[in-house]
Amino acid sequence: MSALAQRQAAVLGAILDEDAALPEGWGERQARGLAIYRNNYRSALVEALRSTFERTERLVGDTAFARAAAHHCITHPPNGWTLDLAGEGFAETCAALFAGDPDVAELAALEWAMHLAFTARDTATLTPEGFAAATAKFGEHDWERFTLDLMPSLRCLPATYDLLRLWSSLAGEGEADLVSLDVPQIAVVWREGECPVFVLRPEREGRALESFRAGARWGEVCGTLAAALGEEKGIAEAGAMLARWVAEGWIEAVGQ
Amino acid sequence: MEDIPPFHGFGLGLRRPHYADFLEGAVPVDFVEVISENYMVDGGKPLRILESVRQEHPVILHGVSLSVGSAQGLDADYLVRLRRLVERIEPLWVSDHLCWTRTSAHNSHDLLPLPLTREALAIVCENIDRAQEALGRAMLFENPSSYLTFPEDEMPEWEFLDAMTRRTGCHLLLDVNNLYVSARNHDFSAADYLAGLPLDRVRQIHLAGHQPGEIIIDTHDRAVCDDVWALYAKVIARTGPVATMIERDDAIPPLAELLHELDRARTIAGSCERSAAA
Repeated sequence: MSALAQRQAAVLGAILDEDAALPEGWGERQARGLAIYRNNYRSALVEALRSTFERTERLVGDTAFARAAAHHCITHPPNGWTLDLAGEGFAETCAALFAGDPDVAELAALEWAMHLAFTARDTATLTPEGFAAATAKFGEHDWERFTLDLMPSLRCLPATYDLLRLWSSLAGEGEADLVSLDVPQIAVVWREGECPVFVLRPEREGRALESFRAGARWGEVCGTLAAALGEEKGIAEAGAMLARWVAEGWIEAVGQ
Repeated sequence: MEDIPPFHGFGLGLRRPHYADFLEGAVPVDFVEVISENYMVDGGKPLRILESVRQEHPVILHGVSLSVGSAQGLDADYLVRLRRLVERIEPLWVSDHLCWTRTSAHNSHDLLPLPLTREALAIVCENIDRAQEALGRAMLFENPSSYLTFPEDEMPEWEFLDAMTRRTGCHLLLDVNNLYVSARNHDFSAADYLAGLPLDRVRQIHLAGHQPGEIIIDTHDRAVCDDVWALYAKVIARTGPVATMIERDDAIPPLAELLHELDRARTIAGSCERSAAA
């Protein structure tokens, strides 16, 4: 390791950990400068988390959020070049710190997915007419085997609370409207034009989306639904889901 | 490698509170500077806004994460994304800082000072060569503000910058506020600094505000102070016309306030030009 690499490892170690020994040869003068860099480091990260997780902060309050953010900076020091990814893993941090309030981690995961959707790759999605054209020459065998490319911003997250109500209630300074769902659902996040949005959908629809994301073929997804709902109802449900996804603009392309 | 075309004028940093101003009407600036990393994204609104602004104004890409002083070298993914943005925006030029931000393990997301040693100079020059080669163009590097110096320093910052420009062909972005802050924090003379700096390599000047104190902090959260304006007058008298901008990153005021500050830069630069011509 070069002398510069050793020096940089020692300086960054001292910035990340205030209990770390001062780098070799440093005195009071450097210690005072180091304190400024340490403060800059923490405040930049906490500010980045505040900006990404505005609603989570409103839900738990400033003090609890500041503690969680400081904890996250210590347990997840950033290693990527962009501060935009400082919130990676913050939902998991919230799950551990607010173990008795699972709504906090659920909301943080939703805010993170919305944050990622904001700058996801631009794409043209299939319109109903485009989908009809793409499948116009399908034979029976093709309908079994086609795959779907979902739009890049789309993410599915587990939801045990009514995240739509919670999200709206935390848009301003109002009280959090926290209601458990009778049946767990899936929050589907995507970007509509320039704005990230989400809806709640049944869990089986989320599983179907995740299957396509993993490369599943239409026949496999229909088979899973048929096994759960019965042949006729399963196939009908699959068709209805596909029609909704095309209408929402979630499909980028049909593959074979 | 393409060199940087001559360009001078007066500009501002494009910041979120002023997006609407820039999108809605003609803002009287000669260029805008953006933080490169904010637009090194896959898609979405930020890129759409930058492309709209680019239609009206020349754009400078100013980075904070190249980490040209990192002993482990540059981040390949970062360079690919920066090059993609350069091709998309066709900026006047691309700049970053003489600093390091990360090791192979972690990123500080801050502009950390380098030991001013021959070893660090060699590493910086190697990294600059690689970045300029990847981008196919000469870059500008900004003198940092700093809050500490290293016991192993072997040369003053101006000597480091002079050697760096000669070895790599890069240019300088002279941040007059950073010069003021570092000179005060480390007790050196700004006049000595300017005397040792290759001023013919300066293609852009930054002006910003700082927080006074026992250690002055480069906060970019207030107006440029009179001492920095006075130093700017000395710099611009020696460099001749150079692209100049006001840099504000926190407590961002209405655009009119920054335009008013920029007028002061125009007045000072104009007065220096007239004196030189007389």
